[in-house]
This record gives sequence, C-alpha cells and structure tokens, in this order.
Amino acid sequence: MTGPTTNGPTANGPARVASAVVIGAGLAGLTAAEGLAARGVEVTVLEARPRVGGRTHGIEVAPGAWIDAGAAYLGAKHTELLALIKDLDLATTPTTMLGASRFALSPTTEADADGELATRDGRFPPLNAVALGDLFDRLAELTAQVDPEAPWLTPDAERLDALTAAEWAEQELDHPDARLFFPLFLGEMMAADPADVSVLHMAFYLRSGGGLRYLNAFEGGAQEDRVAGGAHLLCERLAARLTDRRPGSVRLGEPVRSVVQDGEGVTVHTEAGGVYRAEVAVVALPPLLAESLDLRPVRPAPRAGERTGRGCAVKVNLVYPAPVWRAHGLSGWSVNARGPLLSTVDDSPADAPDGSRVGVLTGFVTGAEAHRYAALGPEEQRAAAVEQAASLFPMLPEPIGFHRTDWVNEPYSKGCYAALFGPGDWSRLGPALTAPHGRVHWAGTETSTEFFGLLEGAIRSGHRVVTEILDAEG
Amino acid sequence: MSSVDTTPADTDGLVTIFRRVLETDDVAADSDFFLLGGDSLIATRVLSAVARNYGVELSFEDFVLAPTPAGLVELIAAAR
Repeated sequence: MTGPTTNGPTANGPARVASAVVIGAGLAGLTAAEGLAARGVEVTVLEARPRVGGRTHGIEVAPGAWIDAGAAYLGAKHTELLALIKDLDLATTPTTMLGASRFALSPTTEADADGELATRDGRFPPLNAVALGDLFDRLAELTAQVDPEAPWLTPDAERLDALTAAEWAEQELDHPDARLFFPLFLGEMMAADPADVSVLHMAFYLRSGGGLRYLNAFEGGAQEDRVAGGAHLLCERLAARLTDRRPGSVRLGEPVRSVVQDGEGVTVHTEAGGVYRAEVAVVALPPLLAESLDLRPVRPAPRAGERTGRGCAVKVNLVYPAPVWRAHGLSGWSVNARGPLLSTVDDSPADAPDGSRVGVLTGFVTGAEAHRYAALGPEEQRAAAVEQAASLFPMLPEPIGFHRTDWVNEPYSKGCYAALFGPGDWSRLGPALTAPHGRVHWAGTETSTEFFGLLEGAIRSGHRVVTEILDAEG
Repeated sequence: MSSVDTTPADTDGLVTIFRRVLETDDVAADSDFFLLGGDSLIATRVLSAVARNYGVELSFEDFVLAPTPAGLVELIAAAR
C-alpha cells in the first residue's frame, strides 16, 4: 500500500517510530493500527476479547442477515466513517422510517396512572408541544454556549460541570411533560440517566455530535444510515488488512495487565504472561478500562474519575419472520415512558440473497432502566421484551429470535454508547484528554471532541494518534 | 403571558423564528417548514417561540396543517 519503510534518521529530524503496540481492537485502535502500519510501522494489536470490534458487534440473526448489537448508525457529517466505508469496499443502507410512530407515554386515564399506558400513533408524541419546545430551546442554548474543543473552558464551566443534568431539570423544567420527556430524550441521545452526567457533559455531547437536531434525526441526521452487513465489518476488514500485512499482528484473547515505559520504549505485559516490546504504545480503551491499566511510571492525569459512569445501554434485537408492522402503516419506531424498551426502531436487514427478509425490531433499554433490566434473569428479560413489543405492536407473531446485549456489564467495554462524564470530570480529565504520557498515546471515541461517543469519533481519534506518533514536531 | 397578548403576529416575526430555528436565511412567508428540513423536534421550538412572543399555544397538529409563516399568522389570529 505504501513505499518502503525508513526507520533510520531522516534528513529532517530524529528517527521515525518503527514499532507500536496498540491496546484494544475496537474501531479507534484498529484505525490507529492500520494508519501506522500503512506508513511502515510494525504494529501489534492486543485485544482482550476473542473477537475484534469493541463496541461494534454483529449477530447473524438468519442466514446471511446480520444486525448490529452495538454501535450502528451514521450520517452525512460522519465524513471519516464514510471515507473508511468506501475504502473498505463496504456500503451503507438507509434506516427505514416510513409509517407512523407509536407513543406509549401517558396513562389511559388520570385515575389509572399506574396502569396500562395508552398507545397512540402519529408523528409527534402526545405531549405538550410548547413545553417540549421550551425544553429544546434550553438545551439548544446550553449546546451553543459550550466550547466544543475545550469544554472545560466554557463560560460558566465550573457551575455547569458541578451540576448534574437531573439537578438542572429539577431547577429549570416546570411542565410535567418536559420532565417526563427529558430523561427519555437523554437516554436515547447518550444512554445516560440524568443523574449520571454533568450539564457540561450533556451540552458538550449534544454539540460534539452535530447539535440537538442532527443527533436526534434519522433522515438527514446521525441515524440516516447503517453499515450494510453490520458495523462490525469495519473492524473485521481493518483487522484483515493488518493480518495480511503481517500475519499474527492482531492478537485476540490477550487482556493487557501493565504498560511499563523506559527511555527506549514500552513493555506491555498481558494477563497470560505475554510480553510485547515496542517504541510506543497506543491505549485505545474506554476511559474506565484505561484507568484500570497498570501504567508505569504512574501517569500524572487520570483517565476517569469517581463520577465517570458507564454508558447505560442494553440493546435488544427481536427477530420476526417479516417486518409485519410495515403492512399496518407503522414504522416500528416507538417511544415509551415505561421500560424495558424505552424506544424501538426497525432494524430489519436488507433482503437476503434469496429475497427473503426477516423483520428486526431493535429495542433500547437505556439510563436507569438499563440497570434494572440487566439485573433480570435471561428468561425474564426475554419475556419482558417480547411482551412489551407485542403490546406496542399487537400484530407481531412470536419472535423467531431474541438477542440482548448488555453493554453495561460487559467487562471489556464497561458501558455503551460511551463513558458518561459526571460532575467534575471535564474540569479534571479534559485538559489531559489527548496529551500523550511519554511514549503512551490515547485513542478511543472518548478522546475525540468531535463526535464524542460515536463511530466517527473513534476513527478521528485513531487518525489523531497516527499524526501524533509520526508527524509530531521534534 | 398577558403582557404579550396584544402583540400582533406578523409574517416577518414568524419568518425570523423559522430562520433562527432552522438555522437558514432561506425562509419566505410561504416557505414550508418541513420542506426546509424542519422536523417534529424543532417544530416544537417554533411553537414555544410563538407562545412566548404572541401568547398563543398551538399544538403540533395545528402546525402540521399550516407549516408556513403566513399560515401560522392566520392560526394565531384565529386563536385570539
């Protein structure tokens, strides 16, 4: 792919970095690894799981039909991701959103507040539009106010970083419909319970992802498309390229225990007793995992604090013989005030080569509801999801498949979509978010102030690290 | 809201609201909010601005039937 490697001193400067160990084979780590390898660096990728992909994960729900159990969506602003999709000979598939949405938000009668929630169809939730508009106005103001490159330098950052989104809602939102909708919205946008994030992080996240409207929208927004065949293919193809260049360069089932650096390089020790030596290391792990690495000498700035939380998402994929809701004029999209499925979307894969098409209803269990649901046994989880889907969409037959992916308790992710920055985190972690620690560099979607928490952010962080290692001055 | 109740709703005022919420200057009196890329989320921001500026609470269903600055002026007048 590129010319021969030059490892010795160049005409312009010191010796180029010739070898690197990348810790974490998610999209950020693999992007960094492939970027370095393409420029002649000898790269070894160490991955704890028996698979690559990190927070992307594909499940084959029917022969040839794959769905995303993790990160899935993209839009036109995700330029690096679109370029990677093209480069890897992959394609996008539009998210289908034809037909009416269903809303189960308000009790059937006042007297029956704890009973069944009335299900309504339409384009808009049956809530006070002016109250929701006020909520979005306030969120838009906060979003406009935040410093997108350095949130900790935002005017009034100290106050906004100390306050949780739950406290903010308590103070600012008067209308019951705004109070009802706000946690649902935050759950959907960032898999957060309002008590878990600072107002500064909420505002930053919305800004980083392209703004309230972009982040929320399917058509014309951040959920416009999916990767055809599943987003995990991005990682599988990057890993295949790395392995083609140098067989054995992507090592699975190798949890890393410690990273020790000295004057000449880094030594990475794995749990299984493996020892890898290179000139630099790239830690491409979510903040909570990066923080738990034994790093010597000890780094000056933490990667996560006591209030840094796990993104609270359990993703449920219900598989049916066909997307039967479509024939009833329904989109499969729903928003629900009660769990476990706080929202659903139609994630049916494209037609299989034989023309058959299964129907996939994906449910999102987010925020505080994710903890409750994750604590149930497998049978209870299945029953609760199937029952709720059937009450939203009574035309549904028995599902032919049920998959649930509990990202909250996934030991090698510790949450999804992304880490939740709690009170004080941006002030403490922000200034050193990307600063290399000697020979150790940091990648991962949480190190990208652009599209933080998204696939696009992961890729951008990988590119940044390549530039840091190979193009940095001095 | 009584202090703003008497403010007459004019097309220019609604055009200004559309421009702010849609983040585009390309708005005329008969521009359709949804054809300009508006969606149901930001439509609520038009309705909250209408309530603040003119003291009239319109529903999302009202808005869908008259999604233009001129159409909203008529709805606001009729609601008073």
